[in-house]
Amino acid sequence: MRIVVAYKWTRDPQEATVRADGTVDWSRAKPGLSAYDPVAMELARQLAVAAGAELIGVTAGGKGVALPIASKAALSRGLDRVVIVEDESLADAGRSELAAVLAEVIRHIGDVDLIITGDSSVDVAAKMVPTVLAGELGWPAVAEVAAVSGTGVEAGAVRVERAVPGGVQVLEISGPAVLAASADAAAPRVPGMKELLAAAKKPVELLELAALKVPPSSAVMTVTGRSRPERKARKGQLIDTTDPAAAAAELVTALRKAGTL
Amino acid sequence: MSVNAWIVVGDQPAIGNLITVARSLGGPVGAVVAGSRSVAETVAASGVDKVVWCGGPDDAPAEALAPAVADTVAADPPRVVLGGRNPGDRVLLGAAAARLKAAVLTGARTVSLDGDDVIVVNAVFGDIADETVTVSGPVALLLDGGPVPPAAGTTVPIEEAAATPLAMRVIETRTSGFDEVDLNEAHRVIGIGRGFKAKEDLAMVDALAETINAEVACSRPVAEGLNWMGKDRYIGSSGAHIAPQLYFAIGISGQLQHMVGVQGAEIIVAINSDPNAAVFSQTDYGLVGDLYQLVPAITAALE
Repeated sequence: MRIVVAYKWTRDPQEATVRADGTVDWSRAKPGLSAYDPVAMELARQLAVAAGAELIGVTAGGKGVALPIASKAALSRGLDRVVIVEDESLADAGRSELAAVLAEVIRHIGDVDLIITGDSSVDVAAKMVPTVLAGELGWPAVAEVAAVSGTGVEAGAVRVERAVPGGVQVLEISGPAVLAASADAAAPRVPGMKELLAAAKKPVELLELAALKVPPSSAVMTVTGRSRPERKARKGQLIDTTDPAAAAAELVTALRKAGTL
Repeated sequence: MSVNAWIVVGDQPAIGNLITVARSLGGPVGAVVAGSRSVAETVAASGVDKVVWCGGPDDAPAEALAPAVADTVAADPPRVVLGGRNPGDRVLLGAAAARLKAAVLTGARTVSLDGDDVIVVNAVFGDIADETVTVSGPVALLLDGGPVPPAAGTTVPIEEAAATPLAMRVIETRTSGFDEVDLNEAHRVIGIGRGFKAKEDLAMVDALAETINAEVACSRPVAEGLNWMGKDRYIGSSGAHIAPQLYFAIGISGQLQHMVGVQGAEIIVAINSDPNAAVFSQTDYGLVGDLYQLVPAITAALE
């Protein structure tokens, strides 16, 4: 059995600034594993251990995603090997292009039974790459998966729990599937020195984008303008809290004056 | 009749905003429904021009019909296909986008047509910047679904599409015990974060909420991880986006991913013990101090 975790090596917009012309300055943002990917990796690791499956990390992106620091960050979280497509043309790739590339990587690996992803990427947060990927492969997809288990079901099937409005639904899925984990699906572990050292020895396979023969998109996207969105001006008034009761009275007076109470 | 825009619909007919956007583009609007027959009936009465229902067995989730939805959309290829943000609809939209080889955009503020191009002003990177994107070719838009549309007076007939579901079925449904809520309907919202030490401490927030007639909401870790509230109560880039008259951020540090969800609020009040918390640079009134003293004091001042 083969389980794939699709992950992203990217930057957190929390550390970016937007210039007046709408361009984003990432110079102070350090790249890292996307925030929810360690959750996906831990969930996948637990499944792989239970099933005796091979666990493979997959990523595609622009320059930097194949750096040793990036592959080691992924491999130290229990993956057996990683398969990486690094191509500068993917740095600004749209969701569907990225999903189409990942689909070809999955076909290249072959015999994949399950693809696990994080809830969303920390930078784009579109939550669409897993679902377009499933569409490309023609596989079932479930998003916001809270738990997965392979026990108590027939071979090749998994049992999946996901939150629905007002409750939890349990699904049984046969055959290969794409599962996007919710942010709390597993508690990620911080890799120790042993895992980091072992990660340096694990196989890293680099694939050429051109060799994957990704079918072209029917849509051509061009960015024709950028702007910094207008933010509502905030008063930024600090209320002295030395005396909590007086602070509360001052706040209530201000809110009444503003007409919001 | 060739469809200009398709709307994909799963278990919930909450597509009012999608209909508004699709209508604004002109041309016939179609809806393809993978949920129950009753969802298709609601959609058929909502003012769309065409409804196709891909009905599956009762225990098939909407996602099982994703290939059927993609087939329906691809058989009459649109310029734009729209879907709501809930997990099931995202799967349907992803299947349609893959089949059409469409561009996928998820932060559209405005959508318009210019000749053969679709022009989208799209918020990117957690809404910190806007890009104007010109797309030639099909576009898939993930948008806030909006409310359930009211009946439009005319009802279109429901066409049924032959659908072979994927091998997935619902075997159990349990209730979580959390009340459902629509934060968008609240004029006042109190958001709570990791600054609270225990779930029992939320009683003081409930008291404040009752005094000012507010809904209680939270940052993501409170709903996912601590599990103190239902997931429909968390605010942020991947949760609810709200625009109430008044928002209290209590014990919330003010990370970008949370604050983008409350940017539309008229007035923001923050309470945090850390004077360097990011939240204070994004508020109207900031109170640096112990929330355990300040929250009851505010409730008392209101009474």
